[in-house]
Amino acid sequence: MPALLEVRDLTVHYTSGNGAPAVAVDELSLDVEEGEVVGLLGESGCGKTTLLLAILGLLPESAHVVKGSIRFRGRELRTLSGAELRGLRGAEVSIIFQEPALALNPVRRVGPQVAEVVRAHRRWSRRRCREEALSMLAEVGFTAPERVHDSYPHELSGGERQRVVIAQALACRPALILADEPTASLDSTTQAELRALLGALQSRFGLALLLVSHDLGALAALAHRVLVMYAGRLVEAGGPTQVFGDPLHPYSRGLLRALPRAPDPAGSREQRIPPPIPGMSPDPAHLPPGCAFEPRCPDRLPPCVERPPQETRLADGRHVRCFKYGG
Amino acid sequence: MSARVGRVAALALLAAVHLAALGAGFLAPYAPTAQNRTLPYAPPAPLRFVDAEGVFHLRPFVYAVTEQGSVTGAYAEDRRRAYPVRFLVPGAPYRFAGLPGHVHLFGVDEPARIFLLGADGFGRDQLSRLLHGAQISLFAGLMATVLSLGVGWLLGTVSGFYGRGVDAVIMRSAELFLALPWLYLLFAVRAMLPLSIPPARAFLLLVLVIGLVDWARPARLVRGVVLTARERSYVLAARGFGASDLYLIRRHISPQTAGLLLTQAALLVPQYILAEVTLSFLGLGVSEPVPSWGNMLADLQHYHVLASYWWMWAPGLALVPVILAYYALSEALSTR
Repeated sequence: MPALLEVRDLTVHYTSGNGAPAVAVDELSLDVEEGEVVGLLGESGCGKTTLLLAILGLLPESAHVVKGSIRFRGRELRTLSGAELRGLRGAEVSIIFQEPALALNPVRRVGPQVAEVVRAHRRWSRRRCREEALSMLAEVGFTAPERVHDSYPHELSGGERQRVVIAQALACRPALILADEPTASLDSTTQAELRALLGALQSRFGLALLLVSHDLGALAALAHRVLVMYAGRLVEAGGPTQVFGDPLHPYSRGLLRALPRAPDPAGSREQRIPPPIPGMSPDPAHLPPGCAFEPRCPDRLPPCVERPPQETRLADGRHVRCFKYGG
Repeated sequence: MSARVGRVAALALLAAVHLAALGAGFLAPYAPTAQNRTLPYAPPAPLRFVDAEGVFHLRPFVYAVTEQGSVTGAYAEDRRRAYPVRFLVPGAPYRFAGLPGHVHLFGVDEPARIFLLGADGFGRDQLSRLLHGAQISLFAGLMATVLSLGVGWLLGTVSGFYGRGVDAVIMRSAELFLALPWLYLLFAVRAMLPLSIPPARAFLLLVLVIGLVDWARPARLVRGVVLTARERSYVLAARGFGASDLYLIRRHISPQTAGLLLTQAALLVPQYILAEVTLSFLGLGVSEPVPSWGNMLADLQHYHVLASYWWMWAPGLALVPVILAYYALSEALSTR
């Protein structure tokens, strides 16, 4: 039984002018099972958004998939026609973008913008689509869907707008939602609300979620599996307790150490500032021949500069890509 | 505040002029083609209130005029009989909005004529011709604008939205059309057609040629707006929900070009009115006896007309405020 979404050896390059192509996603493989929440973690520019766009065939003109396969329910998405892809987007796989303020047309009321997602996929009357939109708005936690339906995006708060976007994404009951930092631009209480909402909707509709987030709280609470991405590659995969409790890859450890915590009143100011990972992420147009994290790695070994490490499966079911664990 | 007054004045003027053109049949006392061979270049008849005996009349009147001797344009009034102005009088038949009519706003009893703006060389009422000519000239401008903006909008949207090869082909041909001198192109197109064609067809042809030659500028402007509009996050978001290209263009892209189109329209209409006038002036547009402001001005090509009969300048004098009002409107629209 194949997984709901299977990505195999996906490589995406950006070409700009005459320079070397920038490698945004490098031989990346991942599975998302039916009803599973997979969290994807990694710093800005490591290729998370590119990965999501590539899955739905929404890459900008400057980017192209060099190799690999993307299968959804066993169907290869890379070879689908434009019309077939349009039928898939929103109906079977939806995508939620980071900035809810920008994902809605500011000069149109939000209700019709939800209803039109339904209209794009179902041959329903305008009236029925409107009713569906209203019930979707109720589903995402609005107590007065009629009022929200007739509001313009600027009349809603950031959290409300993100709810509307979630209603759009859910409108046709897709099996999989790709969420690109759905809570990033919100304050922490609103983040908590949306986290709870996503969790509730996920179990209610049996949704599979591929959740890209910097919000480790969201990942820890929702994800069944957490993937850590660095410079276009997966460096670690495991359950949330494994990855967050006992990160293996030096990058994952650095990432978790860099998290802010509630301040310790006894600690000095310097102790309160979380330590950053030294150095910068590599230029994707000039990736080092060895491990991409090697220049910043505190635990580097002799083979790290020579060749990239291979993925190693550990006894507890985790995957890691580092010479420390075999490579 | 004064800018606002100017805007309102410009709008009011344009509304009045276009309504007058629409209602030309009713407002004009005579048919534009009705000749009075005994009254060539009759001067404008003053409306009078005081008769030869010095008696004041509330209802204005005119005197009949007759030509004096052999000098064209020298007229004497016959003051023995006053012809009071009558309102809603039956007269020459006309059509208004497709309906036949024969009642005119005002007129005087035969045999006198009421030539408020004088007469041309065939003794045709200049005011009637000016009003009927406005129908041709103003609506040629409007229709050509609709046409060129329509074509420009379509090609600009396609070009900006799809980019790549389509964009290159459309934009290169736009540059070609921009490089063409339109007047000479129109000459060439006109030269390929029979010398004498019915006025209605000539009118359509004129509109078609003006509108189709000048699509390039609006197309480039629309393309620019579309280029920025299609990069909006909500366009990508809508794509992510399965939106079709047509939907994106209809709901997210086109509405953003509306303001630009409106401003362009206010800018292009006067240009196209002038284009019609130019072509008809040169004899390439609507031809006699149907009046247009251009072919009415063509009479001024004769020096004695230009010098002796100032009322023959009327279409030119009417053009100036109309065009200024359009420019004021486009200015107001673009600064809003």
